Order: sequence, then structure tokens, then C-alpha cells
Amino acid sequence: MIRFENVTKKYGSKDKPAVDNLDLHIEEGEICILVGPSGCGKTTTMKMINRLIKQTSGKIFIGGKDIDAIDPIKLRLGIGYVIQGIGLFPHMTIEDNIATVPLEKGWDKQRISKRVDELLELVELAPDEYRKKRPSNLSGGQKQRVGVARALAADPPVMLMDEPFGALDPITRSRLQNEFLHIQEKLKKTIVFVTHDIDEAIKMGDKIAVMRDGNIVQFGTPYEILSNPADEFVSDLIGGNSTLKMMHLITCEKAMRVPFVVSQEEEIENILQSAQDRRIKILAVTDSSQRLVGFAEYKNLVNHHGKIGSIMKKVTNTVDVRMTLQDALSEMFSFGSKFVFVADHQRKVKGILNIDDLLKAVSEDEKNTDAMA
Amino acid sequence: MKKTQTPWRSLVNILLPVLLLALAIGFSYFVVQFPQDKVVERFVSYKKIMQLSRQHIYMVLVSSGLAIATSVPLGIFITRPKYKRIAPKVIDIVNIGQTIPSLAVVALFVGFLGIGARTAIFALWIYSLLPILNNTLAGILEVDPSIIESAKGMGMTPSRILARVELPLALPIIIAGIRTAITINIGSAILAAFIGAGGLGDFIIAGNNVNRWQILVLGASLPAFMAILADHLFTLLEKRISNYYTF
Repeated sequence: MIRFENVTKKYGSKDKPAVDNLDLHIEEGEICILVGPSGCGKTTTMKMINRLIKQTSGKIFIGGKDIDAIDPIKLRLGIGYVIQGIGLFPHMTIEDNIATVPLEKGWDKQRISKRVDELLELVELAPDEYRKKRPSNLSGGQKQRVGVARALAADPPVMLMDEPFGALDPITRSRLQNEFLHIQEKLKKTIVFVTHDIDEAIKMGDKIAVMRDGNIVQFGTPYEILSNPADEFVSDLIGGNSTLKMMHLITCEKAMRVPFVVSQEEEIENILQSAQDRRIKILAVTDSSQRLVGFAEYKNLVNHHGKIGSIMKKVTNTVDVRMTLQDALSEMFSFGSKFVFVADHQRKVKGILNIDDLLKAVSEDEKNTDAMA
Repeated sequence: MKKTQTPWRSLVNILLPVLLLALAIGFSYFVVQFPQDKVVERFVSYKKIMQLSRQHIYMVLVSSGLAIATSVPLGIFITRPKYKRIAPKVIDIVNIGQTIPSLAVVALFVGFLGIGARTAIFALWIYSLLPILNNTLAGILEVDPSIIESAKGMGMTPSRILARVELPLALPIIIAGIRTAITINIGSAILAAFIGAGGLGDFIIAGNNVNRWQILVLGASLPAFMAILADHLFTLLEKRISNYYTF
């Protein structure tokens, strides 16, 4: 979809090019992460795609077309663009911000208004509440959602994202990353994503290009980068604990166990035996519409009578099936529990994870990759 | 900026213009109805006050209007990417220019253009170019570069970026420049009387010549009321626009 051929960018009269004879092929529908320390040329590389920066030599193709042959305005209108610090227009409402590209493209009012609603729903901001607000009334996370919605407005096949989640606190960042991956699952855009955060790269990337001094040091899937770093620079960038980082790559769905689910109306006596047989330690307790409301520990069942609901403890935190093991781990840490339930968005229990499950999943995964290599 | 407008504040906003108008009319009434003596009576009449006020306002409006029409486009021109580098230097020069006393400017142009309203308007125009240009430059340069870059990256043309992003964001600051220029102009237009262009300065010269305080104070107070009023109204406009943006 996007192809760099011998692309070099020199700034002014400096001897050392910012991007040096770069070859890169980004497949359609993939998220390609450009990662590296500051000054490695990752942002320059990205900005050459929408011609915000003109390459000194070499060619860049999008969908087989040489971008130098396309009018820059037309080119940019067809590429979504999200930058760090968001760049929302402070004097415009959220609605007008999102409508920027459709307006430039000359869509009619009705179509724009419909599209704005669609996008706000996509990024999980209630249209009626947020359409008329201004950026200064939103939190950092909400602004970033609007930034993504704005970039998606005219449904461009290609998106460029420059540290889009960089300025957010870790919890918000992780949530937005998950939501964005979820959106991408449906939309299948070709995305070039710049970050200096290797964890983000591993989590978000289908492919990762590790850059240094204007060159690509290693290009491959997150697995390849983690399990087989090309040189010392890459392994330093990954840092010590690649096992822990593998957790970014495995979804909860893959590692979770089937939980023991009981209704809160159930009598303790009726389930005691089967729980004992299956050596269940934690029981998931649901309400009449099968939504998770709490949990009960087996050791507490033994001395009690009556309904499960009477000894149940409440559960507030769950992880989604699509979240990664890393999310599950931090959820456990932040709530100080040894397990976490996996649930869907209607709070129906899908599985349970504890620390052992996480470690097992990661070590099995490593074995598989080793076998493949 | 959060909205801090209390009912008390909005009452002041309405009362101040009313008070200024009442003071101007009241003092004019006092001088015309109760003149010190025959000399004052001969110099001051309602007709004379209206005529000189009209001249005064006319000179201010024409010169300020011309200044807006020249400074704003010039400011926009200098802040285009091609010339953006020289913009800070232009601001420096403009600031030096503003230290020249207005009387000197007026006197200077009599040499070229002779006496009369045209010369006065020309001098006032030159003098009010600077604050408006200064603020247009500052307003546009202050727009966060990341906002402009994201506009450019999304495919907005330079003229659309100017119209939809740069100018709206710079507007409160440009309005502040216009406010400064008009307020200064109302005061400086008094000097027009020295070159035979009329205006409320006539009262000051006359009052000084015949040594009558009533005429003198009338000539000094009416422009002062006007200046405070103009300043007040433009401040309200500025606040309204920036509130609109931050809400």
C-alpha cells in the first residue's frame, strides 16, 4: 500500500541525512509502527508520506501511485492525520472540528452531520452531549478521541499518527489504545504510527520498524522483534524483560480459563460438591440476567448456609476479552487481587485469569515461537 | 479563561456608557445654559458642540478605518510562510515607530500636505497603523504551530487555513489593537485643531486664547468621554469573542 524506494531526506546543508536511503513496504490494512529515539528520523519519514516534508531523493508510492504526481492538497485530503498535542481547533466546536475534511471536500451539510454522529459514536462519545462542546471542555483522552474521529472523517484508506497517545496518563492511554485497536479491527486502515515507546509499538503494531540515525535497524512483527532482536541497539530498546513485554501480544481470550459461574440466588449446599470436585477456588456470581455482580471464595462456602448472594463479595473491575495480558496484570495490581474476571461489555463472564495463567500463557507462547524459528 | 461575569459586572458594563453619555450631555447643557459670561456664550452653542464632535468622530473613524484596511492585510502578508522570518523584526521597527509623539507626526505632515482635515486624517492614519499591525502580527504568530500543521496535514489550502484557523484565532488580539488605535486616535485628533482641521480641539485652543475654563474643559472632557466609551465597547467585544472561543 505504501512503499518507500531509496528515500533520503537531507535538511539544509547538513552532511548527515535525517532519513538515509530508506526502503520500506507497508501492507494494506496493517498498522506499521515507526519506533526509535528522538532524532532517528521516524517523524520525518511519516511526514514525507503526506508531503508535509519533501524527500531529497527517492520515491514514495501509495497504492502504486507516485505521490509526487498527486496534488498535495488532494493527497492530504485522502490521508487521515493525527498528531501529538492533538491539534484540535480551539475556536471550533467538536462537530466543526470533525467536519474539517468533509467540508474541504465539499460534502453537503446533511451528509456531514450524519457522518459526525457516526464518528462520535465510533469513538464512544455521545453525539448529543459532545457535538456542540469545544475542545477546552474535554479531557485529554476525550480530545484524543475527537482527534481520531476527525482523522477518520472522510474514511481515508491511509492514516498517519504521530505519537497520538503520547500526552495521556498511562491508564487513559492503555484504554484508548485498546479502543483504537478495536476500531481498526473493523476498519482495516493502513496506518503509519510513530512512537518512541517500545511497549506501545509492541502492543499496537502489526509490523514494527525500529529506526536509528535515519535507517531502519530492524523491520518485522512484534514477535520477531521481541524474540530475535537484530542487534544490541534493538535489544536495548526492548529493555530487559522481553517475557513481560510478550504479555502485550497475547489477548485475555487466549489465556483465560472457563470460570465456575453460579447465580446469586443459588443455595450454597447445592453447589458445594461440584465446586469441590473441580477444585474451584473462586466462583463467579451473576444476577438473574447473567451479569457478573461478584465472586465467592470456596473456603468461605464451607461454613455457610443459605444463598450464595449472602457471602458474595462485589466485583468492580473486569478486563475485556480483547485486552492484553498486560492489561489484566495491571488490573490485578491496581486492585490488589490475585485474579481478574474476563467479561464482555454487557458484563457477561467469559473467563478468569490469575497470575499463574499469565505466566503459563507467556512461556507457552515463547515455546511456540522458538519452535517456529 | 473561565467566565467570571457576575450580575454586578454586567450592570457596570451597561451603566458605564450611560453614565459617560449623561456626563457629556450634562456638561454641555451646563456650559450652554449657564455660561460664565458673554465671551463663553458667543463661543459655545449646541450647534457648535455637535459640529465639532462630528468633525472629531469623522476624522477618527476615517483614519482608523483606513488603518484597519491597511494594517490587517499587511500583517497577514508578513505572516505568510515566505516572509514569516522577518515578522519579529517588523514588530521591533513598529514598536520604535510608536514612541514618536503624535504631535510630531501631525506637524511633520503639514510640511508635505499643507493644513486641513486631509492632513489630519493622514497623520492619524499613519499613527494608528502601528498598534493594529503590531497586534495582527502578534495574534497570527501566536497561533500554536501544531494547530496549523494539523490543518495543513489534513489538506486545507493556505488560504483556507488563514480564513478558518489563523484569523479567527488571532481576532481577539487584532480587535485589541484596533481598540488601542481608536482610543489613541480620539485623543490625538485634538491636535487636528492646530492645523485648521477642526474637531473638539478647537474648544481647547479657543478656551486657552480667551482664558475661559468652561470652554477649555468642554474641549478636553468630550474627547475623554469618547475615548473611555470606545475603549469600554471594544473591551466588551474582545471579551465576547474570546469567551465564545473558550466555551
